[in-house]
Amino acid sequence: MNPKSNLIIGLVIAVVVVMSYNLEADPAQFVDGIPNLAIIAKEMTEVEPALFGTAFWSILETIQMAFIGTVVGVAIALPLSMLAARNLNSKFVYAPIRAILAATRTFPSILWAILFVIMVGLGPFAGILAIIMYTVGFIAKLQYESIEAVDSDPVEAVSSIGVSKWQLIRHVIIPESAPHLLSQILYMFDYNVRQTTILGLVGAGGIGFYIINYIKFFEYGKAAVFMLVVLIVVLIIDWISVKIRDKYIIKAQRGMKIAV
Amino acid sequence: MISLSRGNSHHQSFSSLSNITTRTIIQMNDVWASYDGKNYVLKEITLSIIRGTNYAIVGPSGSGKSTLLRLINGMMRPSKGQVKVDYENPNTNNKQFKLAMAKIGYIPQNLGLVRNITVLDNVLIGALPRVGKFKSFFKIFPDNETSEAEKILKLVGLEDKAERKTYMLSGGEKRRVAIARALMQKPVLLLADEIVSELDHVTAREIMDLVVNAKRRFNLTAIMVHHDIKLGLEYADRVAVIKEGQKILELGVEGDKIVDFQTGNISQQEIMELYSES
Repeated sequence: MNPKSNLIIGLVIAVVVVMSYNLEADPAQFVDGIPNLAIIAKEMTEVEPALFGTAFWSILETIQMAFIGTVVGVAIALPLSMLAARNLNSKFVYAPIRAILAATRTFPSILWAILFVIMVGLGPFAGILAIIMYTVGFIAKLQYESIEAVDSDPVEAVSSIGVSKWQLIRHVIIPESAPHLLSQILYMFDYNVRQTTILGLVGAGGIGFYIINYIKFFEYGKAAVFMLVVLIVVLIIDWISVKIRDKYIIKAQRGMKIAV
Repeated sequence: MISLSRGNSHHQSFSSLSNITTRTIIQMNDVWASYDGKNYVLKEITLSIIRGTNYAIVGPSGSGKSTLLRLINGMMRPSKGQVKVDYENPNTNNKQFKLAMAKIGYIPQNLGLVRNITVLDNVLIGALPRVGKFKSFFKIFPDNETSEAEKILKLVGLEDKAERKTYMLSGGEKRRVAIARALMQKPVLLLADEIVSELDHVTAREIMDLVVNAKRRFNLTAIMVHHDIKLGLEYADRVAVIKEGQKILELGVEGDKIVDFQTGNISQQEIMELYSES
């Protein structure tokens, strides 16, 4: 650590303290509030096992929504990412597409969910639409970035054969950017499951609807059942995606490292 | 005019070997090349390469050897002077030349293989200019192209690894794939940029023998860039020595002597010195 980096760390701490002032972010309040947490924690232990059935069906709905939203979102995002890649298109194509994608990413999925609840009414469909919107914005961005990062060596070598642009995309660009795509989709699904649990808060279906309602009526024990189910399911999904990653992605990356 | 894109050019190049002194496939007249418009990486290059020759370009790193190949395959255009490849102007924007490019097998120094697809798929890329857009989008290759690819894989000794992903191969095997892809183009001209420079001696020899055999078998003209002048003199009919962007010598073997066709007065002593330098 040199004096310069010490100075920077000191400055950052000072800025955080100054910024906290008008937000009334007082650590003392946090300490005072700890007993309240203990009350909630105690009530949470009073779980109602009868609710596990309902929780199971509602998490299933959540996973269904996340799955449909991810698949449809990726299907829409892929062609858009081709159009948004700077190394494949002229400015007049990629600039507007990028602007649209940036706009879809600006709002978190919960805001999209509110919009779609107004459009199509309460229920899972509004939630699916919200997940699609967010997935499109996100996957398209990750994907056009990995298309732009594709190694120029095979692109140049295959261009020199005299192939058409679409042949180049199909036989070089897509396979070279595909390993990233699988890991991006897994990440997105993971993320979407967690997002979908929240979407119930605005009436867009899924398990979040139950959680928010039980919390509203101070029935922490009942809410705890649902939260526990979410926790277990998220852990299971995480475990599965680690397995998939190990099998298909890590192997490919090790292979790439050997490539000289 | 003999166009590179004509289908039976293999036979034409074969017949031309009989009157070897009149048929040139590459003609360069006072060629200058630059990437930034200020510094010239190639200066005053004048050379002609006879059809069917095994031609080598040697020289130290940064001497402009790779640029010379890029001028031939149309990836770069000269700043001054004229380059003719089989009577065509190499220029990737030229539709006529784009057809001709399909007949130039170019193996860059980094090989330019697609890592995440199989060996067979990489070789089939060489056939893309002959396959329709719609079919190639769905990876539907005609049976004759697939069997041709398998034949070429056998020739380069990779028939057992056709379904292997390319990133799993060794350095020598990757070079074989790159050679196979170039041969799949049914080329009349084979360009290879330092294809063996990173390999051990044994593998380097195997690869060079493979190229020489393929060249003979398909009646190609081969232009290979080497870092090592020994490799050039051992395998090629003609060796152009490039130094600081200029062609200083053009060596060939006549009888049991190495002669310089450019200046005509290089001594065996000087050649031996060049030898030991590299």
